[in-house]
Amino acid sequence: MTDNDTRPDGGTASRADADAEVDDIEGSLDVDEPANNRLDPEERKSVSRPTEKHDDRKLVTGEAKYTADYDEQFPDLAHASVVRSDIPHGRVVDIDTSRAESIDGVLAVLTPWSEEVPDTKYTSAGQSYPEPSPWDMNVLNDKVRYVGDPIAAVAAEDAETAEAAAEAVEIEYEEHEHVLDAEAAFDEDAPQLFDPDDVENKIVGHDYERNRMSHIGGTLGNVDAAYDRDDVHVHESEWETIRQSHAQVELHTTLAYTDEDDRKVVITSTQVPNHTRRQLSHLFDIPIRDIRVKKPRVGGGFGGKQAMVVEPIPMALMLATGRPVIYEATREEEFQAMRSRHPMAVCAKSAVTEDGDIEALELYALSNTGAYGSHGMTVAGNVGSKPMPLYSKVENVRFEADVVHTNTPQTGAMRGYGAPQGTLALEGHLDEVARDLGLDPIELRQDHYMEEGDLDEIAGMMGGEGAERVIRSCGLDECVERGMAAIGWNEIEQPDAEHLHRGVGMALSAQGTGVAGDELGGAQIMMNEDGSFHLMVGGVDIGTGADTAFVQIAAEVLGCAEQDIVVKTSDTDNTPFDYGAYASSTTYISGRAVKKAAEDAKEKILEWASRMLDEPAANLDTAGGEVYSEETGASVTLEEVGYESVYGDETREHILGQGTHSTDESPPPFAAQFADVTVDERTGEFDVNKLVVAVDCGVAINPGMAEGQIEGANHMSYEMATNEGITFDEDGRAEVSDYDDYEFPTAAESPPIESILVETHEPTGPFGAKSVAEVPTNTVPPALSNAVRDAVGVRITEMPITAAKIREKLSE
Amino acid sequence: MEADEEEDLATALRAAGYKGVKCGCDGGVCGASKVIIDGEARMACGTPAREADGSEIETIENLGTQEDLHPIQQSFVDHFAVQCGFCIPGMIMEAKDLLSENPDPSEREIRAAIDDNVCRCTGYQKPVEAIRDAAGRLDGGAVTTDGGNASNEDSPTGGNYSD
Repeated sequence: MTDNDTRPDGGTASRADADAEVDDIEGSLDVDEPANNRLDPEERKSVSRPTEKHDDRKLVTGEAKYTADYDEQFPDLAHASVVRSDIPHGRVVDIDTSRAESIDGVLAVLTPWSEEVPDTKYTSAGQSYPEPSPWDMNVLNDKVRYVGDPIAAVAAEDAETAEAAAEAVEIEYEEHEHVLDAEAAFDEDAPQLFDPDDVENKIVGHDYERNRMSHIGGTLGNVDAAYDRDDVHVHESEWETIRQSHAQVELHTTLAYTDEDDRKVVITSTQVPNHTRRQLSHLFDIPIRDIRVKKPRVGGGFGGKQAMVVEPIPMALMLATGRPVIYEATREEEFQAMRSRHPMAVCAKSAVTEDGDIEALELYALSNTGAYGSHGMTVAGNVGSKPMPLYSKVENVRFEADVVHTNTPQTGAMRGYGAPQGTLALEGHLDEVARDLGLDPIELRQDHYMEEGDLDEIAGMMGGEGAERVIRSCGLDECVERGMAAIGWNEIEQPDAEHLHRGVGMALSAQGTGVAGDELGGAQIMMNEDGSFHLMVGGVDIGTGADTAFVQIAAEVLGCAEQDIVVKTSDTDNTPFDYGAYASSTTYISGRAVKKAAEDAKEKILEWASRMLDEPAANLDTAGGEVYSEETGASVTLEEVGYESVYGDETREHILGQGTHSTDESPPPFAAQFADVTVDERTGEFDVNKLVVAVDCGVAINPGMAEGQIEGANHMSYEMATNEGITFDEDGRAEVSDYDDYEFPTAAESPPIESILVETHEPTGPFGAKSVAEVPTNTVPPALSNAVRDAVGVRITEMPITAAKIREKLSE
Repeated sequence: MEADEEEDLATALRAAGYKGVKCGCDGGVCGASKVIIDGEARMACGTPAREADGSEIETIENLGTQEDLHPIQQSFVDHFAVQCGFCIPGMIMEAKDLLSENPDPSEREIRAAIDDNVCRCTGYQKPVEAIRDAAGRLDGGAVTTDGGNASNEDSPTGGNYSD
């Protein structure tokens, strides 16, 4: 493996070798969109209807099976526990396992030096191959870099014994100096976390002597020349974000076993089954074909499971003991040793004329990636490449980022993926510029934001192929208009009490839909003789409702009832390839694969019906479970076609459809966020009266599910604005060990959220859809900061926004 | 049901096949394991089995079936209040307890009742709407809507200015 320097974009922009379906239309607004892709609302039978989420009945009755619920199928199941580092930085000089091994019921105690434990370097990041993340990790470690780094693992007859044995393992350390703060870690005299020789697949801009795993950047035009102009005001501001926990309610859980066909099977709570299979193969030197990764129902991910976080440990213990092994993390481990959002300091700078022309925009991010570099460079890249293209009319743009290691738990992918950090800085900064220059903050944005037909060069300015993209759908105007109306932007009434002040703030956001040029989804459809279908999709439903969206898309094409489609997903032995659930790609990429597979099957159905009805296939279409002739009105049912195709007298065929989708396109969805706040000037305490978020996600395949995504994302975004996140004491110990320490907003503490769906039509998406899951995660911190500024005139730039900070600023 | 006195009630219930009892924290915090013990919704996780000795325990398995959902379950489905579903059995058991004591709860009362149920996918807007609607379905009557969040009663700024 060589360095990954050849991919400066890190997968944020297109790949040169992408199998692009629409590459020939790049730079043009015209898309070769199939006629069946654009349906008027009244023509839609399944798409954009409020279809019941297909697994809901199992979920509300408690019958759905998550990974931990498979334990009853394995009477000889062993339980795993992990021994983690007590110190933030050092070397393990001795591990005494004798006391642990002497406990009754202990089956194995593995250390970094055990034969069954791979010493291969890897990254846990669940990304395409080769991962744009450094291979800097080991499964078990004798060099530890944070409190919580895994050192040893135990398998025992039951969970209590495993835990007791883990506690009985004695570790002797040689302690090293540690560093927790990103700015301090970047200093030349800071303790160094990595010997460069200990890292494979290094990433562009690495400088391990300064703890830097990556430096990236890109520029358009001439930013410095714009700053030097006489007719501009140059503003600078600095913003800080929290270390947010995914805190998905289902713990990271994996069950590993060898099945009756000698296959190595992992049932696991993952967003990335195919990447996990490849990464396990890499680590354990077992051929990809001999590993099966199966995803059951998953209790939330939000990026925390876009990683092979725990799977290697039960796999190694299973190989060591010959027994099926389950590992279920504790909540304490979730907060202290799994993944979290990269905390960042982001500087924003601009040059704006008196009249409100933005001549230059710039962001610089210092990202704290923690002890290891998973998703470090790509998340940092998205700080610029997701929010900055909003203002595609600005000609001089620059973005740079340094990604630095500290002796804190490693960070990773999290919903928004860098965009929340960049959006806070950009949208807070523009608000401040507008206030300083006496401009309307909404008009300033409207004068520069993208419109349908624009050529966006900003998203790709950090390199890669396909650096330009055409904006084929944009509902920003309507998002702003409807959001303003819903919050009552122009009708805010001040409270009677003189010490209370009410204000409103807003922020915009753009995301992507999949990683441009670095996605692949596959789907297959088999017709059964009763006219029903089996739909096999690699795409991954982690609670989002993706399986339901797949069924709706297939039913719309096939003209059948949704309940006549049996959907099977995310099992590497039985479903086609898929990159997994991340980057807001599932409906757009895997959904397009489903649509193609359904169209392939439909073509064959029409051929059979053509013979049965003695009519040209061109006259035929499907609807309501039938194939009918538009000319004569004659029809056959799908069941009749199913029987005839399988049991016909002359010829027979199993009607199979297949589809696979990859593209250079990544159309942005948009969000306009509004926040209404009342602040007490005496104490700084504040109430968020209401949040409104209007989202353009193209055509919502399932509006109810889309609203759930929007409100859930906005709730998570509200947490980013008001919660301290995971903090550490000076010895690098996390000060959060369970939900009650994490203190995120509860039901009673959460403001009402109004979500608004703004429909546009994205011609490259299935039936006009683009993504929805991430974009509403980005916007509450800047909107709330702007609202507080509006209410009492103080600016909070360091998240979270607290009464103490407001009070302090008010007293200045 | 038999269980070891010191055994965690959630672990014991799950071992006895009540897999709708979920565990998402290290004991008694996240609300996913809520069951109704002698008429009161409590977290099974973090509760020693002995504390439930002789008690009547109702789990999600005792509510509706997939073919015939309980009105609260049906309301959660109809309102798209379910995403990953992991927190849902616990939240539904809490809602059942609430509605049996207070058939016509305000939004604030609903938010206060599910204040120790963590939902990470949907947030609380749709679950609150689902529980309000379920109250109407169970009661046959109209439901109170006060908008706003429960904490506003104690709010230093005196509550909401929007609906």
